[in-house]
Amino acid sequence: MKRPLQVTLLVLSGLGLLHASLFTDLFLRYVKEGMRPLLIASGVLLLLLGIAEAWSTPAEAPSARHGHDHGPDGDARSDGHGHDSGQGDGGHGHDHGHDHSTVPRVAWLLFLPALSLLFYAPPALGAYTASREAPRAVASGERRFDPLPATSPLPMTLTDFTRRVRQDRSRALAGRTVLLTGFVTPDTSDKGGDTWYLTRIILSCCAADAQSVKVRVHGTPALPGDTWVAVTGAWHPGGTLGTASAGADLDARAVRRIERPVNGYTDDLPLVPSR
Amino acid sequence: MQKTEVLAEEPGATPADPALSPAAAPAGPAPAREWPRFWPALLLGAAVLPGTVVFVLGRWSDGQALQAWRTVCLAVTVQALPFLLLGTALSGAINAFVPAHVFSRVLPRRAALAVPVAGVAGVILPGCECASVPVANSLINRGVTPAAAFAFLLSAPAVNPVVLTATAIAFPGSPAMVLARLLASLVTAAAMGWLWLLLGREEWLRPAVRHTGHRPGHSRWTEFRRGFQHDFLHAGGFLVLGAMAAATFNVAVPRTVLDAFSGSPWLSVLFLAALAVLLAVCSEADAFVAASLTGFSPLARLTFMVVGPMVDLKLIALQAGTFGRAFAARFSAATAVVAVLVSTLVGGILL
Repeated sequence: MKRPLQVTLLVLSGLGLLHASLFTDLFLRYVKEGMRPLLIASGVLLLLLGIAEAWSTPAEAPSARHGHDHGPDGDARSDGHGHDSGQGDGGHGHDHGHDHSTVPRVAWLLFLPALSLLFYAPPALGAYTASREAPRAVASGERRFDPLPATSPLPMTLTDFTRRVRQDRSRALAGRTVLLTGFVTPDTSDKGGDTWYLTRIILSCCAADAQSVKVRVHGTPALPGDTWVAVTGAWHPGGTLGTASAGADLDARAVRRIERPVNGYTDDLPLVPSR
Repeated sequence: MQKTEVLAEEPGATPADPALSPAAAPAGPAPAREWPRFWPALLLGAAVLPGTVVFVLGRWSDGQALQAWRTVCLAVTVQALPFLLLGTALSGAINAFVPAHVFSRVLPRRAALAVPVAGVAGVILPGCECASVPVANSLINRGVTPAAAFAFLLSAPAVNPVVLTATAIAFPGSPAMVLARLLASLVTAAAMGWLWLLLGREEWLRPAVRHTGHRPGHSRWTEFRRGFQHDFLHAGGFLVLGAMAAATFNVAVPRTVLDAFSGSPWLSVLFLAALAVLLAVCSEADAFVAASLTGFSPLARLTFMVVGPMVDLKLIALQAGTFGRAFAARFSAATAVVAVLVSTLVGGILL
């Protein structure tokens, strides 16, 4: 790989990272929000590397090739061929010693993520992934549940709703109207009928470890997959509320389309997009 | 000054230099294995083809699978890039700024003792496995015995405080899991180091010497910058390759398949070990994934967390790029076996 190409690659990668993390929220489609400072720093670093490479005179290049030292005491002994190569016998140098200005061809692959981030960023994971994943198990940690706030409809996360349905023995959810948000995953199983899943995909690190949490919604026709909605409704009776026999099901009374929230890969109460 | 060290970049025509690593001084020049020059293309094909074939066969009619593939592939790359930069910057700095005698002073002189010390030293590198490959490589080039460098390479991603904290959060109320992970990872790393001392051969390592340490008359900063840049471009390409392979398996194998294997205790251990290799989840996140695999025994989940940071698709690609394919194939296979054995043993006692 020639030096101008290396410069291009470094600069494009840096710009791609900065574009995705500093100028837009694209990075939230792939990793968690906490990665933002690291990504910005990496973008700046790559950009600086590219600029430094472009800035350095090509005359420096011959001095970059070199032999190598002979082990622990290399510093003391390397003066021999170190000086040799320092004298810059140009043609010689390409045969002996190693030239940092050549990079193996596998580096070409780095153009893919760089260009992809800049021009053709794939969408966030959605219904396709969720429909192929078993729903994430809801932690059965604490046994005590605080009383629910009195507001109605009550905004809840899908995880919270599931835990209340399955584990809250005080049955605080009985008769309550709740407000859940998530995206639509059509029910592809045969017994589905006219139900669909209100879904959130949760990342613990990046999109490679995506897990989903789902609540089955009854009573309204399904919107197209990946539509973000806010659903108002009450628990759909099935099994005994407060035990593991209860289904995480919801009778929908109203379904409203919403924008994809900024924190789309969490199961938190929705935040509005910043753009 | 004889100029015997003819060094080439590509894994092809590369007469090995015995002086590459100090331990090999008496052994004559070792002929490097000849690989086709286009083998990265072969690996690329292996990574992309399965997905493409299934896609073309029309199982995924609407292109959603391809979108998911691209998303996962990009996500793995984006997630790993900062850590890869950290690792390559660190390895560049070690080469340009740290004199070689520092390592010979810090590490015990006997290689058998240096191995566990290096394994424990892995605690200081906070990051995931992408950072440790270039660092281990630069340690070898600075005269650290390869066995110790490999112990460091294996233990660093698994035993650093960030990862252990994540494990404790993912498994609330079971400190035994954290302890088991720490112990099993350290024991595996040390065992692999000793195994290398016993059976390892220098010629498996590709003599890709790209660092010399600081040489008089050269600017340390230029050396640092050029080494950093070269390593990053090199390892970055292999990272993308590994991400592609991981994304292929991530999209092609639905998690619902897992249920089929969770019944049998032995099968589930082996299955989760294989899953850890295929999914290539970052070591900082694998505890959460392991915690979510609720159908499996704690022992199987421990195996997932011990194997994952040591052997996975993107790591194999990175190792192949850094140390050569002959090394990566043998080392990864041996590590996987040792890791499964050790975590079964440690998990059997502690969990």
